[in-house]
Amino acid sequence: MEQLIFWFEELGETHNDVVGKKCANLGEMVKMGLPVPPGFALSLDMYRIFIRETGAEEEMSRYIENLGELKGKGITLFDEIGETIRDIIQEKELPPKIKDEISAYYHELCEKVGIPDMAVSVRSAGTESRPGMFETYLNVCGIEDVLEKVKKVWASAYTARAVAFRINKGFPVLGDELGVAIPKMVNARASGIAFTVDPVTGDDSKIILEANWGLGEGVVSGAESVDGFLVDKENLEIGARHVGKKFKCVVYTENGADWADVSAEMRNTPCISDEEIIEISRVAKSAEKTLECPQDMEWAIDQDLSFPESIFWLQTRPVKVQVRKPQNPTDRILDELIQRVYEI
Amino acid sequence: MTEKLWDHVPGFDFDEEIDLKEWPSWFLDVSHSVPPWTPLYAWFWLRGCSHGQKSAAAQLSQPAYKGTELRYKDGGSYIAIICIRDEEEIKQRTPKHREALRPYIEDFDGIWSKYREELVGLYENLKAINLDEATNYELIHHHWDLTAMYWRMWEIHFLVLVPAFSAWLLFEDLCKARFGISDKSPEFQKMMRGFDNKVYQVDRQLWELGRLASEMGLADNFLDKDPKSVVPMLEQSEPGREWLEKFQEFLNVEGWRMVRMNELVDPYWLEEPSVPISIIAGYLAKGGKFVLDEVSEKIVKEREEAIEAFMEKVPAEDKEWILALMRLAQKAGVINEEHDLYCELYSQALMRRGYLGIGRRLVKAGTIDRPEDVFFLNPEEIERVLMVPEIHDLRYITNRRRKEWEEWQTRPNPPLFTTRASMEEAVGMDLMPSRSPIMIKLGVGEMPEIRPELKADLYGVPCSSGVAEGPARIALCYEDLAKVQDGDILVVVTTNPAWTPVFGRIKGIVIDRGGTLCHPAVVARDFGIPGVINVFEGTTKIKDNQRIRVNGTEGTVYILDK
Repeated sequence: MEQLIFWFEELGETHNDVVGKKCANLGEMVKMGLPVPPGFALSLDMYRIFIRETGAEEEMSRYIENLGELKGKGITLFDEIGETIRDIIQEKELPPKIKDEISAYYHELCEKVGIPDMAVSVRSAGTESRPGMFETYLNVCGIEDVLEKVKKVWASAYTARAVAFRINKGFPVLGDELGVAIPKMVNARASGIAFTVDPVTGDDSKIILEANWGLGEGVVSGAESVDGFLVDKENLEIGARHVGKKFKCVVYTENGADWADVSAEMRNTPCISDEEIIEISRVAKSAEKTLECPQDMEWAIDQDLSFPESIFWLQTRPVKVQVRKPQNPTDRILDELIQRVYEI
Repeated sequence: MTEKLWDHVPGFDFDEEIDLKEWPSWFLDVSHSVPPWTPLYAWFWLRGCSHGQKSAAAQLSQPAYKGTELRYKDGGSYIAIICIRDEEEIKQRTPKHREALRPYIEDFDGIWSKYREELVGLYENLKAINLDEATNYELIHHHWDLTAMYWRMWEIHFLVLVPAFSAWLLFEDLCKARFGISDKSPEFQKMMRGFDNKVYQVDRQLWELGRLASEMGLADNFLDKDPKSVVPMLEQSEPGREWLEKFQEFLNVEGWRMVRMNELVDPYWLEEPSVPISIIAGYLAKGGKFVLDEVSEKIVKEREEAIEAFMEKVPAEDKEWILALMRLAQKAGVINEEHDLYCELYSQALMRRGYLGIGRRLVKAGTIDRPEDVFFLNPEEIERVLMVPEIHDLRYITNRRRKEWEEWQTRPNPPLFTTRASMEEAVGMDLMPSRSPIMIKLGVGEMPEIRPELKADLYGVPCSSGVAEGPARIALCYEDLAKVQDGDILVVVTTNPAWTPVFGRIKGIVIDRGGTLCHPAVVARDFGIPGVINVFEGTTKIKDNQRIRVNGTEGTVYILDK
């Protein structure tokens, strides 16, 4: 029988279409020696078997066929389509062999780490990068919850937004089959991102760190003021530092994670130490070198472990903006002249 | 169609029928060719200036502009601005333009100083000839040397002006788009003024010569005297002769300067020392400090404050290049003054000297009556007769043309020949598309915004902010400046560097034609007096001594006693 679940360390970039981008990427990170939280990945084939064997596939196809031409239809229809298909997926029972296999990997993971019913996150992993489009579930504990959240992640290919996106792009409505990454939750004291290039100015001489207390979601969403640091890429000296007024951060709740108030004394305190800043920057710099292009990376510091074992890497991806060397003033003036005066 | 033979400026005489077919709008060059020109000067200007513009446009690959076509009509020079209308061609020219401007942005001062040296070298060579002892052969070669110098002068003229004016145009555009201010705004003007330049330095030297005369007890020789009598009077005394020696030293260096910028009929300082003498007399009469030093302290302080306030609005990542651009744009005003001195005023003093020499030779041979009649011949005619002048009588030409020229002085030339509906439309369709910084900011200028709610008598383009009220003083030529009293509002068609000292006496200025970077606009800002430009009808609608108010912030002129 084909392999439907992989430990991260078994994966690499060739597995993109097997387990989705995020999972393949985590495999690459392990290979590069980046400390990644231990975990495993569910293949796209597992999802395909699930919808085939449960009859969900046929049901979904029939439903879509009956709808007819969708291009140009309004958002309320996309809402309805999404909800219907998500229900079809979530109502189905997982076939026993899938259930058993996920359970086996989950229990082996708990055993490896030594925590029963250990908290994991259940993350979507498409073959194409569609940031923020599909769901991720945090602080998922125990096998029943894991199995439930796996179905929810699969179903998140049919959020109204994802449906609208595919219809507007002319892709089939039934698409975006998802792999699933299931890493151990880092019990994060602080989390953040590291850019090896300034995505706005293209300055690649510095590493930009942003950090907040708690889980990475408190930084990535950019909703609250956070700490910021500029680190010289050459000598890893900390240049500018900005200690944000961190009123809120994301922490675990009983069944997931949510925003919480930051205590008054922690609000204006930097959430990471200089030692940590430099170590994070060092690793980011080396990742950029190995991957041969500027990276946008996510990291977290586990409060249960001591430095430097406490630093975990959750994701790395190429920076979206085009990297531009900082322009000298002459070039900038010439560019402006051409664009403004001659509108070219 | 009647096919005419060309007369005054062969190849460049305006023919409405033919030329309007070739290009839809021909603008009168009011900044330069009012009052009307003699044929000899026009011959040189039309060829030289249009060649300079075309060659700079080609060398700098100006994206939307190939230079100007010039025509001569009744003493006026008419400009057709060769706009490139094909977007594809503009796209092809643009990358080259970008690279051609690079050295100027990196080292504008270095480039200007190299060209300045080249020009002064050319001028020094031309001074070597003794015109009255030269053979006819040497004279005709001198004529060719002058011609070659003049073409080169015009090439350099535009090679330095275009990049500096481009920087101004860009900086203004940027300020408009990002900060909501244009070069008509006081904030903008404040940032760009109060820089020293060679013209001011020469004026300051004259002021110092005045102070010296006063220290030597010679002031009485200047005050309330006919400027022409001052030198003979000074020659009578020992200290007078001592002072004259210093004055002559000054003239030998700085006296190659025409009184009127764009003609050959008026003298240069070295030839007519009474002109700088009268400026010195003016300084002595006024007393006190050199007037620019009096105002410049405040203006420089205001400038630095304005720059600081502006830079605070500029985001951190843009500060470096915007400051560099501003520094370059600030050079536009400086170069506009200095190039007049090193290009037109100096070269044309040598032209006047050379052609008067040729004129004297022709008078000797009986070809013409007066040396000045040579200005009514064109070089084709001069070349025809100069080697063997004694067999020629060209008075039938010079007498006729002199009469025509005198008649042109009595009436204004039409400001525009066009197939478009109006001046506004002609400017919009046949000037602005060129994006030529020279034409937009100097030659033709922008059009005034008529704001009926202000109920002004005249509208213009604001060029130096502030409001002033006083008696109007119309000045159409340099001699008219003698009438100017302290506190007058000067009303002019345009001005040139020879007029600069008068800005220390007036309270405001109304300028009929030009752009925000032309001489009177730059100098008004440096002297901190209100000014309005492109008023068009100031010199015709306002009467001498009438009380007027000029608002250089709004761009309006009010006639108070109608």
